[in-house]
Amino acid sequence: MARNKTTIATLALGGLLTTAAFLMAFLWAPMTDFGSVNIGGAEIARPDIAQKIFYFHVPVAEASFLVFFFVALYGALFLAKKDRVYDTKARIAAEVTLMFVILTMISGDLWTKASWDTWWVWEPRLTTYFIMTLLVVAYFVLRNSIEDEERRATYAAVFGIVAFLDAPLSFMITRWYRSIHPVVIGGASGSWLFGPRLVTFIVAQVGMLALGYAIYQLRMREELTKERIEAAKAALEG
Amino acid sequence: MAAERKSLSGRQFRAILKKDIVMELRTFEMLTSMGLYTLLTMVVYFVALAGAGQDFDVRKIAAGLIWLAFVFTSLLGLNRSLVHEHDQGVLDALLLSPIDRPVIFFAKAAGNFIFITIVEALSVPVFYFLFLQGKGFGGPLWMLPLSIVAASIGLSGIGTFLATMSVNSRGKDVLLAVLLIPLIYPLLLGAVSAASSSIVGGPHAFSEFWQAMGFIGGFDVIMLLASFGLYEFIVGA
Repeated sequence: MARNKTTIATLALGGLLTTAAFLMAFLWAPMTDFGSVNIGGAEIARPDIAQKIFYFHVPVAEASFLVFFFVALYGALFLAKKDRVYDTKARIAAEVTLMFVILTMISGDLWTKASWDTWWVWEPRLTTYFIMTLLVVAYFVLRNSIEDEERRATYAAVFGIVAFLDAPLSFMITRWYRSIHPVVIGGASGSWLFGPRLVTFIVAQVGMLALGYAIYQLRMREELTKERIEAAKAALEG
Repeated sequence: MAAERKSLSGRQFRAILKKDIVMELRTFEMLTSMGLYTLLTMVVYFVALAGAGQDFDVRKIAAGLIWLAFVFTSLLGLNRSLVHEHDQGVLDALLLSPIDRPVIFFAKAAGNFIFITIVEALSVPVFYFLFLQGKGFGGPLWMLPLSIVAASIGLSGIGTFLATMSVNSRGKDVLLAVLLIPLIYPLLLGAVSAASSSIVGGPHAFSEFWQAMGFIGGFDVIMLLASFGLYEFIVGA
């Protein structure tokens, strides 16, 4: 029961922090700008409102990488120990990864449209992310197309590990390739991230990780309960 | 002891590879289907490029078109090579015999590498004949075969690895494509870039080529090591 309380507390904390970060992003963190324009002798900054999505988009993206790492980690643990619980853990972690990946794609796309005025551009981060989305989807396609339970678990674990190795390679190659075929649009640099903006970002990041953890735990509990019910049913029938 | 064991692995490796080659020489099933598939792809390319007009320089996208054909024909071949093993129980027999799992992996991957490379070696001249005649190469010609061979090592390695999984599943062909294409994305980008250095050329062709080859080599090493280490689990499952 202590575990339940931790999960609920984490969920509440995550909700609180992400909501706070949302408010902080708009009410407290200073607006970034694209430089200034001179209108009638007065220097007026050109505000970059779209940048506000940064406080949502980046924490979600970083959370997705972290959870993806756990897919590979639990996969390796399953292969080492052959304990089914690690397979369930890897699967739930992959579900949470998929959720974060989809949120990142949506928020990233909105930002791309607002800031670069195009819905899609084959920029290294976007491309890598697209590939990562396909890999996470492939993980579930693989799971769904194998009937034997142990084989499914083993294949999924193996694929999770290989897919995790693949992600950094995708990023490096795309960045290199685009650098020899330069694109005009570039990403934002980090020099403006200090003071209230940094604090807002950290609050959002911690909140998002707490939410991810809580969702993972809730799904995990649901799965374990389901398994116990199945086992009980089998025992009653047998 | 160690030397004896090593020679034994070498003999086992050769025996499995020989079996695949002999089987192919008797039926020519893989090579004909892959070759025909590549030819059909060329027809589709012609249709796709028909409206582009005479001014369009096909060389700029030639490397991508070549690799597009390679990827899809490899999917066909990889699937074939393991579907046979699976349906006729050869894989089970191999697993029963006292052969190290990595030896099985390397032998199957080597067989696939040979078949894929043969089809590639035949289809590049055909592509040149159909689309690039009289256009000439912008860069050195030797870069093209070198990059194709280097990238085919990684493609057949990871492909054999994934095909071993997909033969045991429902919807074999689709699953192989879904797993393989995102995984080889880094390899593909490197391979197309390296091949482009040869076909298009330009002042930086050399440095770009070797950088791309560095990526291809890195991918080959990482993915072959991963497949080598994890193959035991997937054939055992």
